[in-house]
Amino acid sequence: MSILALQNVSYKYEGTKKSVLKGVTAEFEAGKVYTIVGKSGSGKSTMLSLIAGLDICKDGEILYNSKNLRNIDRDEYRAKGIGVIFQAYNLITNATAVQNIVLSMNISASKEKNKKAFAYSLLERVGIDRETADRTVLKLSGGEQQRVGIARALSHNPDIIIADEPTGNLDKDTEAEVLKIFTSLAHDDGKCVIIVTHSRRVSDIADVILGISEGKISVVKHQKH
Amino acid sequence: MYIFENAFRNVLRNKGRNTLVGAIILAVIVTTVIALMISTTASGIIDDYKGRFSSEVQIKPNMQKVRDEAMKNSTNGMVRMTMPTLSAEEYIAYGESEYLAGSLYTASAGVVSDNLTSIDGELGGGNGVMITRMGGMPGEENGVQPKEFMMSLQGNKFSEFEDGTRALSSGEMPDAIDECLVSSELAELNNIKIGDTFTFSGEVSNLKEGIVQPTSYTLTVVGTYYDLTEEYGTAAQQNAYTNRRNEILTTYDTVAQEFVAGMNGIRIEGAFYLKEPGMLDAFTSELRNKGLAEVFDATTDTATYEKIVGPVEGLKGISVTFMIVVLVFGGIIIALLSSIAIRERKYEIGVLRAMGMKKLKVALGLWTEMIIVTCACLVIGLGIGSAAAQPVTNTLLEGQIQAAEQAQVQSQSPYGGMGGMMMGSGGGMLSGTANTNAEPLSELDVSLDLNTTLEITGIALSLATLAALISISRITKYEPIKILMERN
Repeated sequence: MSILALQNVSYKYEGTKKSVLKGVTAEFEAGKVYTIVGKSGSGKSTMLSLIAGLDICKDGEILYNSKNLRNIDRDEYRAKGIGVIFQAYNLITNATAVQNIVLSMNISASKEKNKKAFAYSLLERVGIDRETADRTVLKLSGGEQQRVGIARALSHNPDIIIADEPTGNLDKDTEAEVLKIFTSLAHDDGKCVIIVTHSRRVSDIADVILGISEGKISVVKHQKH
Repeated sequence: MYIFENAFRNVLRNKGRNTLVGAIILAVIVTTVIALMISTTASGIIDDYKGRFSSEVQIKPNMQKVRDEAMKNSTNGMVRMTMPTLSAEEYIAYGESEYLAGSLYTASAGVVSDNLTSIDGELGGGNGVMITRMGGMPGEENGVQPKEFMMSLQGNKFSEFEDGTRALSSGEMPDAIDECLVSSELAELNNIKIGDTFTFSGEVSNLKEGIVQPTSYTLTVVGTYYDLTEEYGTAAQQNAYTNRRNEILTTYDTVAQEFVAGMNGIRIEGAFYLKEPGMLDAFTSELRNKGLAEVFDATTDTATYEKIVGPVEGLKGISVTFMIVVLVFGGIIIALLSSIAIRERKYEIGVLRAMGMKKLKVALGLWTEMIIVTCACLVIGLGIGSAAAQPVTNTLLEGQIQAAEQAQVQSQSPYGGMGGMMMGSGGGMLSGTANTNAEPLSELDVSLDLNTTLEITGIALSLATLAALISISRITKYEPIKILMERN
């Protein structure tokens, strides 16, 4: 059974006539890694925004656990149901890395007893040591900020993790580590991982590769690992 | 809880912006503290004096009307001006009014004693009866020569004991009828001891009718008093009768027991205390209905009140006006700063909203930040304001006193116009502004009380809430995706 389903979703930005998404229908299951590929401007990030509950589609429906996103508390959905890794990181820049993670856990009302310790362990998992974790985000490199973004997305143990070019600023070794985490999250922890990417290496880990073109989505490839 | 922790961290993270906002809030709070301290203290003083001067009504003869009446009744070129009096019965009748909170009666009478030597007795005696022939000398009437007295009995006149110019030196205050206090000087001169009894004689008379009736009082000395009042006070003549050391203080009933209606010699006065200062007109109207003659006026001491309290009222006005101006401008500046600050924090808000933080919690966080800054400013502002309030008050009050003095000098000048109004006002001896020797209040000890602190706290929190509301109103218009897209 799909954890997330898009049913005939169309979308166009205010003040424009051209639809970015045209009747997109897709299903996403727990325990699988999905990658979405496509040219720039093809609607990949728009689709992620809609899936993330940051925006609402004008036509069609997006169902999370069979519930229409339009009808549920989307703040709650963003806080607990989904973890988003933004291409531009979108961290609180004047807070430290660990504070970003703890804040995310607080917003999601995480029941973790020692949030700070858990935040450190998450950061360590994505390759951020304790010293770096205590630095303000502005003092971190792009790659480090990307990893903090990944750790933040995992901090509240969401059902769905979506990532927009998550490894774009990472070196090969770290990229491999991060991809291993994504694979583990899907295959071991039963999460649904959806990644927008241009990278072949990222697509290689996907169970399903989806392609977007001219606002329409199609399955490009199923892969067995 | 995390909202508070996050807000506290944000305050520390954004030092520059919060210092700027804090400086404005601090300036507003300091000004408000000073203004409210002055205003509260001044209000207390104004209310107190208003209560004292505007609530106490005295019924006094209007000398202009008495003179006019005497001139009208003159048949042989002789103008007889007899000070009209009210009987004890009239005073009591007037005191029974729904407009009054209470009444205080006093009585006085001239007396002599065969057993006591008066202070300044060599200056002779006097009396309270005034007979004037146009261009002539005081003299007898209908063959009756008014008696001269060497002392006076003062019934229920103890106000100097309250203001400290008289104090009990031995014994106790008179409480029962026929008990009295004598001055320590008179006691020393006559070797009076507590428990001694003396007989005093006086008279009541109606010179017009040629009636004279002797009065007698047998009083027991129950105490002596120190006297720091001016020996002759405002008396026009200096003699034993007008010397205040010869005043024998007793109860109202003691003096009034010899009162005879229609006869002069025992002067009874009443002070009435209105429930509200604004009830004077209604009370006066009631007095007229009860038969108070037109030669009497019911007056309050507004001139003294204005002279004493005028500068304080001016000071209060300045402080309140200044506070309002500062609050309005401060509020506008804080609102503008908040508006700018929230634009700077648009991205942060977008991130928080994208992470799932509800609008209400974002707003609560912003409000908490503003409250933290305001509370810090409040603590500092209360300290600075309290320290600065007294010097500021002194400076402002000095300016107000000088302005009042200048205004008075101008009003007394030949071209000021007020001099002529004194006689023509018909409002009695206290109608004009230049008629009182009272000194304006030259000191105002301001202090910070709990109510003022609460008011300031309320104002500060309102300012913080105003600033937060500006921010919150903007947040409601922000959608996280738009903010993040703008940023990205």
